[in-house]
Amino acid sequence: MTKRRRYILLFAGLIILAACVLTQLAAGAKVTIGQPRPVGRPPRIRPDYQGAVIPPNIAPLNFLIQEEGSLYYVKISSKQGKPVEVVTESPKILIPEGPWHRLLSMNRGAQLAFDVFVKDKNGRWNAFSTLTNTVAQESIDNYLVYRKIHPAHGVWNDMGIYQRNLQTFDETTILDNSYFKRGCLNCHAFCSNRTDRMLIGIRSKKYGSSAILTKDETVANIRTKFGYTTWHPSGRLAAYSINYVGQFFHSARDEVRDVIDLDSFVAYYSLDSRQVKTSPDLARKGRLETYPAWSPDGRYLYFCSASIWWADRKKMIPRNYHQIKYDLLRISYDINTDTWGTLETVLSAHDTGLSVLEPRISPDGRWLLFCMCSYGCFPVYQQTSDLYLMNLHAEQTGQYEYRRLDINSDQSESWHSWSSNSRWIAFSSKKDYGVFTRSYLSYVDAEGKVYKPLLMPQKDPEFYDACLETYSVPELVTEPVKVQGEKLGRVVRSWRKITVEMPITMATPEAGEEPGYEPWQQRE
Amino acid sequence: MLNSFRTLLTQNPDRRLRSLLFFILFYLYIWLEVDTRLIYHGAGAISDFPVFFRGWTFFHRFTSYPGGILEYLCALLSQFLYIGWAGALVLTLQAWLLSLCTDYLFKAVNLPRLRCLRFVPPVLLLITYTRYTYHFATTTALLISLLSVCLYLTATQKAKLSRLIVFLVLSVFVYTIAGGAYLLFALVCAIYELLFARRCWFALVYLLSAIVIPYAGGVLVFDVSIIDAFTNLLPVSWKIFEYENYKKILIIVSALYLFAPSVLLVSGLCRSFFITHAQPLNQPNAPKARPHKPTKKKRGSKFSRLRSRILSWYSGAPIIKWSVESCLLFVLVGAVIFFSRDIKKKALFETDFYAARRMWPQVLAAAPKHPNSYYIVHAVNRALYHTGRMPYDLFRFYQSPDTLFLTAAEHRESYFKKFDIFLDLGHVNMAEHELTESLATDGRRPLILKRLALANIAKRTIHTARVHLSALGKTLFDADWATDYLQQLRSDPTFTLPADHEIQRLRRYMPVQDYGFSPMPFEHILLDLLKKNARNRMAFEYLMSSYLLTGELGKLIQNLHRLDDFDYTQIPPLYEQALLLYMHKEKKPVDLHGRQISQLSRQRFENFKKVYAFYGGNKEAAFQSLANAHGDTFFFYSTYGLSGLKK
Repeated sequence: MTKRRRYILLFAGLIILAACVLTQLAAGAKVTIGQPRPVGRPPRIRPDYQGAVIPPNIAPLNFLIQEEGSLYYVKISSKQGKPVEVVTESPKILIPEGPWHRLLSMNRGAQLAFDVFVKDKNGRWNAFSTLTNTVAQESIDNYLVYRKIHPAHGVWNDMGIYQRNLQTFDETTILDNSYFKRGCLNCHAFCSNRTDRMLIGIRSKKYGSSAILTKDETVANIRTKFGYTTWHPSGRLAAYSINYVGQFFHSARDEVRDVIDLDSFVAYYSLDSRQVKTSPDLARKGRLETYPAWSPDGRYLYFCSASIWWADRKKMIPRNYHQIKYDLLRISYDINTDTWGTLETVLSAHDTGLSVLEPRISPDGRWLLFCMCSYGCFPVYQQTSDLYLMNLHAEQTGQYEYRRLDINSDQSESWHSWSSNSRWIAFSSKKDYGVFTRSYLSYVDAEGKVYKPLLMPQKDPEFYDACLETYSVPELVTEPVKVQGEKLGRVVRSWRKITVEMPITMATPEAGEEPGYEPWQQRE
Repeated sequence: MLNSFRTLLTQNPDRRLRSLLFFILFYLYIWLEVDTRLIYHGAGAISDFPVFFRGWTFFHRFTSYPGGILEYLCALLSQFLYIGWAGALVLTLQAWLLSLCTDYLFKAVNLPRLRCLRFVPPVLLLITYTRYTYHFATTTALLISLLSVCLYLTATQKAKLSRLIVFLVLSVFVYTIAGGAYLLFALVCAIYELLFARRCWFALVYLLSAIVIPYAGGVLVFDVSIIDAFTNLLPVSWKIFEYENYKKILIIVSALYLFAPSVLLVSGLCRSFFITHAQPLNQPNAPKARPHKPTKKKRGSKFSRLRSRILSWYSGAPIIKWSVESCLLFVLVGAVIFFSRDIKKKALFETDFYAARRMWPQVLAAAPKHPNSYYIVHAVNRALYHTGRMPYDLFRFYQSPDTLFLTAAEHRESYFKKFDIFLDLGHVNMAEHELTESLATDGRRPLILKRLALANIAKRTIHTARVHLSALGKTLFDADWATDYLQQLRSDPTFTLPADHEIQRLRRYMPVQDYGFSPMPFEHILLDLLKKNARNRMAFEYLMSSYLLTGELGKLIQNLHRLDDFDYTQIPPLYEQALLLYMHKEKKPVDLHGRQISQLSRQRFENFKKVYAFYGGNKEAAFQSLANAHGDTFFFYSTYGLSGLKK
């Protein structure tokens, strides 16, 4: 290449660079709208954030304007502070993080207006009706921990547990299965929205089944598999279910997958004594016990229970599987004496006609959030699964009052969790992306009204459109998980494990026997 | 270094011409014989073939671990294997660069006689392709390492400090880009420093860096597992090793990795031990290679005189010399390829490739290369149905009751091979199940995403279909197909898509009555499909074929009335043969629903009986004669459990 040619190329490159910079500057510059033509309706946007109550500490709610145009102008304003303005040739509205956070923090409890203007082909500006949101007074917990996996049936490839900083778009890996040769990991559980106590269930052909226990900065590997886990608020013990799960499929239903617990019971692990125990009421013969959940004061353990009518507990599929319905029970517990009280029925499937599952109590102890679906033990596979709220402080009339939430869709809602201040819930829903479960956030006011759910925002508003993974079991936590990645991976791979003896009082398994698991067992 | 490569390319025109010829043949062989489209397709045997999606989100995940960037680039380049000529070009380019690096390496360490070994890496690469395996990322990581070694060698003239700096800079680059392949870079550099440049301290530092850099970079910076930190992209990585069918070919890939260091090590050791006055390379006082002293000629026999005359004539005739050496090279390479290629595996890939594209005549043409493979027979059966030959020619091919649905235990996880049969039959949920499992085991291939989208559109689970279509929209070659469907779904709020024949066909056949199964006998599935739509011809022919293969003739006769639901002009011959055999054995008539058994079938049965009787009812003795004349009949299959034997 001659010198002359090099100079020409350099010059051309500089011109292109300058043009790019100028275009960007022009796009960022203020636009003159003049007299826009009122459209008389709100703009079509995706994700649908219109009319939601939003956390004051949430990342920018970037969205896509589904209106034809050559230039887009969005003004986000509230009572106080400088409005945030976005001018772009793309219908993707990417809101700058700094100004967004400043605006939200100054306007807790106030309305947030989104004025959308679109310049059409003829060069005229069209003004759409203002979209409004309400900024909540109360913040949401800063982090959301969830599992990502493709909608697996029996086999899987990559999966992991990740934490998302809800104030930004940062996502970090807590543990994925590349650390232990594509095993399975699930059932992450935290103590009272903190991350100093964490349990993750692991299954691996190579490294065996175990539960990874994080206590402050130390990590241990317990040589037994924890199912659905709940921490006692003291952080001294964790109750969990042990499930013998069978999978089957549907010939003509939208959701092909289904599962059934052929046998299950609830046990608890004491961190002090390193022992697994259970109570006769948590492991009754002839009953399936699952989904344990502690009350915030630690005095009650709530769990779900259904009767077993099939003799062969390994045969798939039990007859009348579609009639298995779980009751919601609770049992009192005294941690100081390690004694269990009497069993109470909180909600009977006989009364509801539905299967009651996944109880979670708000940290203030007032609300019990749970799922109900037509049958079975796995709401995320049941299209009929909806979220219900029960007021535990309401005057007791012998029956707990509950109601179906307005946020439900005609698809499955499940896997819910509370924020530490009891004002926010995170849950999984299939309402917008079918089999690809996504995580949503909803505000709960003091009266227990639950507001329009907000899809967990992503930097790219079209992110979820082509995302082939499910985001499920969203757990809100106040702080990031500190022990992660290879630190956890090393413990998973380690042969040094805490060996536990299984108690002899359990329902089905023999003493000392490791409970069996179907290979697919997982949470989606 | 560029100049050095340029020199390599410009000097020695005879070498250049030989290389050019070699790589032209290499390209043509890959394009026309191996056919990279088959590797792209994977046939359920290549499970680690990468997918590629456009956009930042996809790229982002590759930035989180050492070697990720190279994997991203390889994922992009691998997509060109979809187009035969382009794929061959990519693979040839890789092989050529590997050859060039090897050549440069041997020249740089003053081993000119070994430069002919530059063809070894391309040949080893070719073996991996002829055996239909995919190691593009692993071998490209090797290429990056060797390229970096060449870059390093150009710094041998520099001062000690700069040598170390160059090594460290290259180390960070190689480790970030090529992950575990960095170990090779450090090893080759250490061998060079120890045996050729005689700088032991450098060698020691480089060997130490092979431990320190992966640990610091992989574990501390990228926070990957310690196993991945050292092995990602190496042939010993668990990500490769977990594929059972790759274990044999990994010897070749490992040989490819070990080739350069072993040659250097051996020749370096030889140099150290056998040449007592050997001087380190690039030393200012190093004497130049001594010219050969003419030795005193011994008086030889006539034979030795003749030999020396021939040799001198040979040395003085460069064209002849070039031709002989080139011929020798091509014969050697040809022999290696001839003995290493896997014709059966190719047939397996071809039948699956054509079946996935519904190219039925090609399926039937490729099948005889490996007629006893259950996978091939499974594809053949689909081809027979789709060409209208199933009730006529089923036993022209090898058959077993497990081939219809691949029901044998060893095929339980052959999801990639199974989903199309369920889509063909119209059992959308079964297809969705197999497709989802295949997505997990074979990757997010466009072929699977397309079928998942179709299945969900047919079920009207549009939210799910849209995600599959949007993901497809980010691929390189199927974006238009996906965009077209997304547009149709937008413009048709009822998602009816009346003009889409495939969707309408699926909706006509898919079951509507829901029930749980785990697992369900295929007979029930086929009967259920026929219950939904009695005119599901494929379900009917597969049902009848399964009865033929299992010998359940009573059930075949029970379902004979279903012939009326279709346009068969007469009872298909294989069913006639089953009826004749049944009537012969049970000695009772069968209700043919007003149809007749053809004279031809009766004659064949009589002939079969006659031949059998000729051998006195001795099954073994009659085998060959019956196989020759009736190897394609149900009579023969029923008697011997074999088929596809007619000459």
